[in-house]
Amino acid sequence: MLRTIIAIAAAKIIINISRRFGNQGTVLAGRVARWLDPGILKKLAARVTGEVIIITGTNGKTTTSNMIAQILGANGNSVVHNQAGANMLNGITTAFIAASSLKASRHWDYALLETDEANVAPLLNEVNAGQLLITNFFRDQLDRYGELDRTIRLISEGVRGRDIRLWLNADDPLMSALPRDTGLPCSYYGFAATAYDHEAQQDSREGRYCMLCGEEIEYRRFHFAQLGAYRCPHCGNSNPAPDYLGSDLQLGHEIVMKVNDIEVNSPYQGFYNAYNILAAVAITKGMGIADAVIKEAIARFQPQAGRMERFTVGIKEATLILVKNPTGFDQSLQALLNDRRPKNLFLALNDNAADGRDISWIWDAELEPLSSAEAELCMLVCSGLRSGDMAVRLKYAGVATDLIQIESDLDSGIQKALGGPGKVSYILSTYTALFKCRKILLRLQGDPAPSAIPGERIYGKS
Amino acid sequence: MAQFNIAHLYPDLMNLYGDRGNLICLQKRLEWRGQECRIQNVGLGQSIDFAAIDMVFMGGGSDREQGLVYADLIKRAEEFRQAIETDLPVLCICGAYQLLGQAYISADGQRLRGLGFFDFTTQGSQPRLIGNILVETELGGQTTTVVGFENHGGRTFLNDARLKPFGRVLKGYGNNGQDGFEGIKYRNLIGTYLHGPLLPKNPVVADFFIKAMAVRRGMDANITPLYDAIETFAHQQVKYKILNS
Ligand SMILES: [Zn+2]
Repeated sequence: MLRTIIAIAAAKIIINISRRFGNQGTVLAGRVARWLDPGILKKLAARVTGEVIIITGTNGKTTTSNMIAQILGANGNSVVHNQAGANMLNGITTAFIAASSLKASRHWDYALLETDEANVAPLLNEVNAGQLLITNFFRDQLDRYGELDRTIRLISEGVRGRDIRLWLNADDPLMSALPRDTGLPCSYYGFAATAYDHEAQQDSREGRYCMLCGEEIEYRRFHFAQLGAYRCPHCGNSNPAPDYLGSDLQLGHEIVMKVNDIEVNSPYQGFYNAYNILAAVAITKGMGIADAVIKEAIARFQPQAGRMERFTVGIKEATLILVKNPTGFDQSLQALLNDRRPKNLFLALNDNAADGRDISWIWDAELEPLSSAEAELCMLVCSGLRSGDMAVRLKYAGVATDLIQIESDLDSGIQKALGGPGKVSYILSTYTALFKCRKILLRLQGDPAPSAIPGERIYGKS
Repeated sequence: MAQFNIAHLYPDLMNLYGDRGNLICLQKRLEWRGQECRIQNVGLGQSIDFAAIDMVFMGGGSDREQGLVYADLIKRAEEFRQAIETDLPVLCICGAYQLLGQAYISADGQRLRGLGFFDFTTQGSQPRLIGNILVETELGGQTTTVVGFENHGGRTFLNDARLKPFGRVLKGYGNNGQDGFEGIKYRNLIGTYLHGPLLPKNPVVADFFIKAMAVRRGMDANITPLYDAIETFAHQQVKYKILNS
């Protein structure tokens, strides 16, 4: 017990000191606490009286778990929730300690833990989770985890034999072997046909082959990437019937849709965010939270740092967007191309560990639409540690080279983009440049003291 | 104007890490020179007319996919081998490169057969060799650096006297992390572990293939020079980063 109190006290001191220096000290505090008391996370997680919920998947983890946290908060529940960028065991330990009293006597209704796919199994060894929600599987950061098949297997093996309910995306064929491989109870969320579906897949990507028998699967429609209505002609594997069905989807300045019988609207944009909303509504409805509470919380929930966050610099508008893999990149470009105003584009590409050391993924993204006249691009500034690779990608996507500028320094690059002839600017950035870009935008906007963002100093390498 | 046909073998199965960047690069660099370029996707069981194609490209895949590809490709191995002997430009990356040898022996001792075009084998092992890599190579009588990214568990050892390595490793691992060599080169074939956008950042290598295609068609070997300022910047940026890491 004394060991636990010492560990919590030490971690709280670190959290306090680093907050004073403008960040949350997320990883270090947890690391020190785990060194002083290796059983700390297990002990604190046992103080959750309701349920521990784990959110994983390639894209949308942060947005989905933030939405769920918002709904639970609006429902009057106490929640432990780790922050974006602090989703390994150390960061999760910090989240519990920050919410805990010194003697670890505090209880919570729920813990909402966002984590990388490869971290699900180690996390389950320390916390007793009742539900696991998977957003989607896309190709991401292959250099860290090996291939997608392996990632999915890691999750299967991690949950097998445990008492846990899986929340799966009914539109993602890559999830179709999980019920068989784990034998666990599953709930599904998915979309009916929408006005934004395609008949053909944009490019050869994931999900061409059946996860059950290996034969090529057939699609009736694609929502985006490999998400859609599929069927394997060989073994009959097809979309499970969603328990929570998204329908009547309208994408524009905001998202309007129905989930089963309730209508929700959100200030978010883009199909990928519609999936995040659907997943958050599904799991909270499943937990028995009232429709009115869910609707209200979703409507009030504003985009987070780097998830289409808006800034005003002088008279010009700038929108900050995080990109980290081909599918997310495609979706962000789709959203900005829907904006018909003349625009400047800034793209920061870093290759630190948290971005993925391998930048090959930019060639899997569909950048070719940027070369069309309808894109209304006045200037493209390539920045970050791999500004050259970004510029080459744009050139080979067919963008006129006289529109492409290289300015590796983030600050000069953003200023150059904001000074461009376009009426609006889109600032796209990979993870480790994102918080720097945000700080620069806040400064240019005239905010005297940029607010600290959780996880900001973790990867301060560029 | 000539039309060049590039066969992309098994794009559904052998397509990791942005390999398609190489095809986009060849296509654009042909178009910028006033030529036409058609990419022909060849899947399992589909036929290839080696007489009608100017180049073959094949990328990386997982072990499972490599097995499927072997079973299909072995049926046309003899035609493919003859085309290589008559100077067909071929670029094989990662798994496709390993497939050209005798075998791939996985870490747990399983033996996956290769096409056996050349005498080399690959031994799967831990840890994976991952990171940026800088190689020095000689192409068309000119020494040049090549930058890229490697990510492979396999260690490849060359025994074939006909083969030259693609290049000498200046920084990184290469074929096996021991002998300082990277890839293979034979006539107009290059096999390499440098994956993804190899050609766009290394326009000298891209133009080696384009020149080889032109010569094989009986066209002028002096291909039009292109203005490569952006490509050169990207190349130098990575090279500088690798040399200073
Ligand atoms: Zn099947």
